[in-house]
Amino acid sequence: MNLEWRLAWRNVWRNPRRTGLTVSATVFAVGLLVLMSALSTGMWEKIIDDSVSMGSGHVTLTGPNYLEERTLEEFTYLDAPLAARLEENPAVAGFAPRVNAFGLLSEADVTRGVMVIGVDPAAERTVSSLPDRIESGRFLEKGKTREIVLGGRLAEILGVKIGDQVLLYSVAYSLESAYDLFSVAGIMRLPNPSLDRGLALVSLADAQAFFVYGDRISEVAIRASEASASTALAEQLGSSLDPEKIEAHAWPEVMPDLAQTVVIDKLGMYMMLAILVIVVAFGIFNTILMAVLERKREFGVVLALGLRPRAIFRIVYFESILLAGVGLMLGLLVAIPGVLYLQANPIPLTNSEEMAAAFAMVGSDPVIYAKLIPENPIFSGLTILLVALLAAFYPAVRASRGKPVDVLRSL
Amino acid sequence: MLREIFARLSTQPEVQERNRRLLRALSIPLALVVCGLAPAGSAAELLPAPPGSDAKEIARRAEDSLRSARTTLDASMTVVSPRLSAPRVVRFQSWEERDTKRSMVRILSPAKDAGTGFLKLHPNLWMFVPRVERTIRIPPSMMLQSWMGSDMTNDDLVKESSTLDDYTHTLLGLDPSPESNPELPAYVVEYIPNEDAPVVWGKIVAWIEQEYGTPLQQDFYDEDGSLLRRMQFSDVRAVGERRVPFRWSMTPLDKEGHSTTIEIESIVFDAEIEPAIFTKRNLRKARR
Repeated sequence: MNLEWRLAWRNVWRNPRRTGLTVSATVFAVGLLVLMSALSTGMWEKIIDDSVSMGSGHVTLTGPNYLEERTLEEFTYLDAPLAARLEENPAVAGFAPRVNAFGLLSEADVTRGVMVIGVDPAAERTVSSLPDRIESGRFLEKGKTREIVLGGRLAEILGVKIGDQVLLYSVAYSLESAYDLFSVAGIMRLPNPSLDRGLALVSLADAQAFFVYGDRISEVAIRASEASASTALAEQLGSSLDPEKIEAHAWPEVMPDLAQTVVIDKLGMYMMLAILVIVVAFGIFNTILMAVLERKREFGVVLALGLRPRAIFRIVYFESILLAGVGLMLGLLVAIPGVLYLQANPIPLTNSEEMAAAFAMVGSDPVIYAKLIPENPIFSGLTILLVALLAAFYPAVRASRGKPVDVLRSL
Repeated sequence: MLREIFARLSTQPEVQERNRRLLRALSIPLALVVCGLAPAGSAAELLPAPPGSDAKEIARRAEDSLRSARTTLDASMTVVSPRLSAPRVVRFQSWEERDTKRSMVRILSPAKDAGTGFLKLHPNLWMFVPRVERTIRIPPSMMLQSWMGSDMTNDDLVKESSTLDDYTHTLLGLDPSPESNPELPAYVVEYIPNEDAPVVWGKIVAWIEQEYGTPLQQDFYDEDGSLLRRMQFSDVRAVGERRVPFRWSMTPLDKEGHSTTIEIESIVFDAEIEPAIFTKRNLRKARR
């Protein structure tokens, strides 16, 4: 056994140039596999986090049918026992009750239809990134009434600045007309253009008074301690709630478009990586086959001396594994520190407006993030090794088969 | 033009959501149609219309029984909804000049809304809110939003489109005993909006009394042919030479338990209306 490995190792380095080329192709492929999967993981994690923190949280508690209708009609309550349960749950990092409604915001001759969200200023900070997106002025504060925070583009369209009064008009839950003046406390800059030109925040108490909504709410947005556990958390919370009154949804249910985009993008990436792996497979196949063919005579001799065909089969296989293994090790040695560096130093794409626009489409900042999760390099390594095993099969069979007499005569 | 309006509308998240909901609601009827299983509908029981009847002329008579060159009316609107313990009643006054597409509506009660005014100076719609002394221009994308919490839309209020000029009329036949008034046979006319008309409906099917030309019922369909809401006219009274329905009931078919009824208290056709009525200055003059 030991001898076979040693023979294989020596054989691999009999043609250092060829081996070197194959190994560098493998290093390149492994590096690319690890880097691309880390960039994709990082990018989607960031996009999902942005969407979740500017949207309805990892998990959203709503009244029945809210997701289908999204009107004031589908309400729920955040009562004290539920709040206490959320408070105690270690998987819940924060939660915030909200009222989501639709209204007309008007200043002078300009009127815009906007999404009005009533938020509890303190609770909102535990869930959402909206308070951090204030560009001028400040976020809503507890105890201040009839204040409003606007998306940046919306403020520009209305032509208002901090301290100005805007008129909010809507139809209340009681079907009465609802109108009131709100003073602009802060202006946010949001990467998602439809939010930037269509989002207005007021305090939860103001929203409940304005829409004559009592202590009803539209949703409770929950930030999970572990983003990847969103679905599990939704199931756990959902099982303890009365489905007639309140439902728990994980973010893929609330934002099915985003969830589908993630799946489609990942599929695309896997296809590209598969092509890369196939190219590497042919490289290894070619190297091993050449190495076997040029040693026909050698194999004939050792077979004639009594070496078992199975031993030859193994030696060829070990060569392939060594070839791929060396490439894999070197590849990981290069790629992992590189990815870790990128993870610590995200690259902002500040100079490219096109890139900024592309990121804005998915509601995120134009920054390249990498995120190394152990699954990705492990998966890449296993794939490369599997490919080496598959690629060596034919050359190994070829080397071990045949009668020594025929082999020697054919030379 | 229609596509433009829709593009504008669909930038509103609520409308987007509504369109999606419509699509979902439509998928089953559409599948039925594709399979050839579509319910035959009331059209099957219609008699052929008498020869020489002109769809546009019938539509004109129906229009004339509700509107004139200058019309003023006082009315009350009753909104019924599952979320209200008692119906909401809104009383209002309206002035309309058909040719210039100008109209003015003033809310009289409830007290909270009294003085609120709506002024249409084609193509703009303005709203005045006296309590905060502000005038709001209602953007075109808001035309399908509820008017004063009712099942009527802003579009119903301002009648941006003309039922005569913006539609092509086809006579579907004669209904010998219409649901709402079985004694009087009614024409059934289909209104299909013209290419660039400012209309949000796919089509309207109207029942119009054969003898008097009084409208009985209007069914509003969306662009995919599903019935969204139904307007029924009743309490027909004589006003001068006209027979006018004094009670208009709107039922949205996608919202259970909702309905809106407008009852006319007084109506004057071919009225004298001072031009000053249709001014922003007058709009801001809240009579509380």
